[in-house]
Amino acid sequence: MLIQQLVNGLTLGAVYTLLALSFSLVMGILGILNLAIAELFMIGGYLGFTLITAGFPLPVAVLGGMLGAAVIAIAIEKIGYQPLRDAPLVTPMLSTLGFSIILQNVATNIWGSDPAQLPDEYFGKQYAFGPVNIGEMQLIVLVATVVLVALVAYIVQKTPMGRALRAVAENREVARILGVSADRLTMLAFILSGSLAGVAGVLIALHYGTITPYLGVEIGLKAIAVMVIGGTRQIWGALVAGPLIGIAEVLTVAYGGSQVRDFVVYGFMILILLLRPQGLLGGARSDQGQRV
Amino acid sequence: MSRIKSNLPRVLGTVAAVTLSAMVGGQAWAQEIAIGAVVPSSGPFAEWGRSNTVTLKMLEQQTNDAGGINGAKLKITILDDAAKPAQAASSLRKLAGDEKVLAVAGPLTSSAAEVTFPVANEMKVVSTSQASSKPGVAKLNRPWAFRNTIDEGVLAKTTVPFYKKAFNIKTVAVIFDAKDATASTVGKVIMPAVLKANDIIVANENDLLSFNTGDLDVSAQVTKLKALNPDGVVVSADYSQAITVLREMKRQGLIKPVVGATQLISSAILKAAPEIPVIAPATFYATMTGPAPEKFTATLTPLLRKESGLPKDIEPSMYDANIYEIVSMYIDAIKKTGVTGKPADLEADRTKIRDHLAKLEGFAGLGGPIGFNDDGDAIKAFYVLQGQNGAWDTKVKGCSSAPGHPAC
Repeated sequence: MLIQQLVNGLTLGAVYTLLALSFSLVMGILGILNLAIAELFMIGGYLGFTLITAGFPLPVAVLGGMLGAAVIAIAIEKIGYQPLRDAPLVTPMLSTLGFSIILQNVATNIWGSDPAQLPDEYFGKQYAFGPVNIGEMQLIVLVATVVLVALVAYIVQKTPMGRALRAVAENREVARILGVSADRLTMLAFILSGSLAGVAGVLIALHYGTITPYLGVEIGLKAIAVMVIGGTRQIWGALVAGPLIGIAEVLTVAYGGSQVRDFVVYGFMILILLLRPQGLLGGARSDQGQRV
Repeated sequence: MSRIKSNLPRVLGTVAAVTLSAMVGGQAWAQEIAIGAVVPSSGPFAEWGRSNTVTLKMLEQQTNDAGGINGAKLKITILDDAAKPAQAASSLRKLAGDEKVLAVAGPLTSSAAEVTFPVANEMKVVSTSQASSKPGVAKLNRPWAFRNTIDEGVLAKTTVPFYKKAFNIKTVAVIFDAKDATASTVGKVIMPAVLKANDIIVANENDLLSFNTGDLDVSAQVTKLKALNPDGVVVSADYSQAITVLREMKRQGLIKPVVGATQLISSAILKAAPEIPVIAPATFYATMTGPAPEKFTATLTPLLRKESGLPKDIEPSMYDANIYEIVSMYIDAIKKTGVTGKPADLEADRTKIRDHLAKLEGFAGLGGPIGFNDDGDAIKAFYVLQGQNGAWDTKVKGCSSAPGHPAC
């Protein structure tokens, strides 16, 4: 049972990792917490779900979820972030919170509050390794997470676009003087983050075979905890902290009870904030996220 | 003379106003009968709230098309509580205080009822829940609180013996939603006690499994359930949460018969894992036979399916039937007890409705006659249903009172 629980924990951790990465792209680079990301994840999931049930193949569903979430991310940047960029820090965050509530309401109105369920034929194969069961979608989620984290790390660390993003993160004004279009890169960070959330939503919805408009809130808060634990500015931090929290959560539920689950997850986050605010993979203490 | 002439229109206007006012004041009934409803049109139970709203609008139109109530038009004011207890309580306060309604249908959940019923007592207005079934919620808030539902403890006493016999159950494992008041009580208290009384061993008696409302991942709990290898599984959660558990059971290959409370009854749960039998009690279900339920379903179904935000294949739920019956009972009380609906009679009218409900016996409900016991809970017939391969099938008929009661 322990090995099965570890597999369960790794899958759950992969969910958190993908979403934490979405949060940290905007948080680490632009220094703001885009609370609407959790709902982009949910909308991406619904779009993927809709495409799959309409008979489209998985790659089209992933692309659809990604594009849909990216388009909404552009709207959030244009309406909810750009005009408020120079306002006090809490203002754009509240604006994204507003977007988050609106998106949840829109999803409830379009798809209803009942869980949408994937028909049986889309459940995917199950592979049994002795007492351990692993589903086809579970494997896809785990592989996709590693690939996406590596891809984002490559983009941010090795490409000219990534260097420009990091320059904006260090000092927006200096980056502008050096010829970097801060506005264009801000938009890019939102698009990247939204796309990632959309992909994550599609994969997760298909893995569990069910989705509700309230999916984003619960998983989104955990993903924020994962981002903090891994280090808001460390792309690889999410890949370490996600599975760590996923496994801790699953083992707590299995051997302690779900009533202490959130205590463990958020307690760990508070401990990290107190003892190592730069996160597990953060280097110097000064490497901590600039603002939340 | 010229002064009188110039003032004539004003004088005539005043006389006309006084006459009209006297005529209205002298009438036996108001022009409009105001009833309130508190339903969750947003939030996690929005589906139920929205279908409740369509049901009430249908009843309002049916009543007014049939000439109203003693000639007065029925007006149902519906407020959304988003399934939040505080919002439900303030909605009832608004309906009773500002809208001056004669009685309120709702709130839906036990969590909301626990907070709203004391306000109903304070405001001296009848409040009848359409779904709350946690034991003792109305009993604690007499005399103004009622529930058109049956205590889950009563239902479990008929459901569990059938479940045991039908599937040869000797052991079960329990999983429940720890954040839902009814689910938590059923999972932690009612089911373990009734199972024990029926000589069924609860494999995780000292380690009942739980999850929280909104959880999508219940893989850890289901892995643990599977390791216990029970003959059956008790899933105590509302159907939308139970779907998550059933899907995960299916994913992990745990195909065992499931038993639960009224919260499981829905058409959506039948699609979650059609091969897993689900046993649950209900007082109404969409495929119920008989003139009243068939007419109700036939009239309401197209209206529900036309409503935006509701699934295209939705069917009337037990809670639609319950809220329809609640307002129908209010209308019955208004007609039979001389309720006027006039502002001056508001307090007396509300008391008449309360007293009528308290003594009600044999009201013609959709699933059979309805009355209320001293705890404010409905005495009515119920059915133990088995859901499998996409359909609910009636297995046992029961009654929430001793045999011989008019409602049985």
